[in-house]
Amino acid sequence: MANEKTSAIIKRNLFTENQVLRAILGICSSLAVTNTMRNSLVMGLGVAFVTGLSSLTLSAMRNIIPHRVRMLVQTLVIAAYVIFVDLFLQAFLPDISKHLGPYVGLIITNCIIMGRAEAYAQQNPPLPAALDGLFAGLGYTLVLLGVAFIREALGFGTIFGMNINFIGFETWTIMIMPPAAFFIIGAMIWVMSARAANKAAKAK
Amino acid sequence: MKRGHVYTFLFMVVITAVLVFALAAAYEGFKPSIQRNKQLQEQRAVLSALGLDEGLKDNQIAAVYEEKIKPGKLNGFEEAYGMPILAHIENGETLAYAVPIEGSGLWGALRGYLGVNADRTQTTGLVFTYQNETPGLGGRIDEDWFKNQFRGLPITPNTLMAYGSVEDKDIDAITGATQTSSAVMRTINKSLTEIVFSEEVK
Repeated sequence: MANEKTSAIIKRNLFTENQVLRAILGICSSLAVTNTMRNSLVMGLGVAFVTGLSSLTLSAMRNIIPHRVRMLVQTLVIAAYVIFVDLFLQAFLPDISKHLGPYVGLIITNCIIMGRAEAYAQQNPPLPAALDGLFAGLGYTLVLLGVAFIREALGFGTIFGMNINFIGFETWTIMIMPPAAFFIIGAMIWVMSARAANKAAKAK
Repeated sequence: MKRGHVYTFLFMVVITAVLVFALAAAYEGFKPSIQRNKQLQEQRAVLSALGLDEGLKDNQIAAVYEEKIKPGKLNGFEEAYGMPILAHIENGETLAYAVPIEGSGLWGALRGYLGVNADRTQTTGLVFTYQNETPGLGGRIDEDWFKNQFRGLPITPNTLMAYGSVEDKDIDAITGATQTSSAVMRTINKSLTEIVFSEEVK
């Protein structure tokens, strides 16, 4: 594969091929943590960090990893980084660690990380792979924050815990529950797909 | 390049060993900080249950804890659910007790402390030291607005605490987290009947 320009990697991961909205990966955690923006942000940054580093490591080792066991190796490397993140949070950011508790371990099962390792890090040199992983994670963060913004504003009347409910509207309980994320992410996926289809039609 | 089984096997052994070693080293390196944080959280939790942590910075916690908190004895119990009962003592006078609470939440155990004053007529506070509830829903039992509802509530033997109005106060459950909210009440009432009023409950 020809070397991709940095700006192309960034644009592709944040927008045109956003992992959540175009590849429909990482949906489980997108449904679960997006009822507050704070949790979404920390979860997103954790995923971006792990995706970046695991892509870097796996790409650096891509020529010595036996093909048949590559998925085992991917899981091992990803798990190691996630445990490291968990320990790091416990040691230096105990408040956030307490808040996110069970979700940190769940970063391991985020399909985006293995998706990038399989689809990109395997065939590309370490530096582009790390960028690709990092921005795939940031694209995920962007979607999470977007969804969380709608859910937290309507469900709690707050943004990052700050009250914005000046007119005193009745908050929507359904926005706090997982189904709300289904509707919001569904709508976002619809918009992105329609846009891509439009583009494809014009290109013909 | 075609590689044999031996290479694959050795590769897995080596990479596993390297990663395990790296993580073990990271754990050893972080251990002092992690333990300090755990102790700090525990001590702050006890002080918070007794209503003593208001405005305290992290570096003041240990000193205040040393000064005011001693092992306590309530109803003949020195510990509850494997954790010690702690007493808030100032000038030789016991003012309140931090009573351990334990129960099951929606996803896992709930552990923490309920503070009650020395003559067992009022609560002084509620705090959780361990919980695995859904972040943003049940996890909100760690938020101040929820915990502060449990300060200064009247308690009597044979009356269970419940959500709703108590005298002039309202105790609210968490919207969207009914199971966790009920579990919190069950947990509190368990400690009240089994420990705090264990003799009086008929």
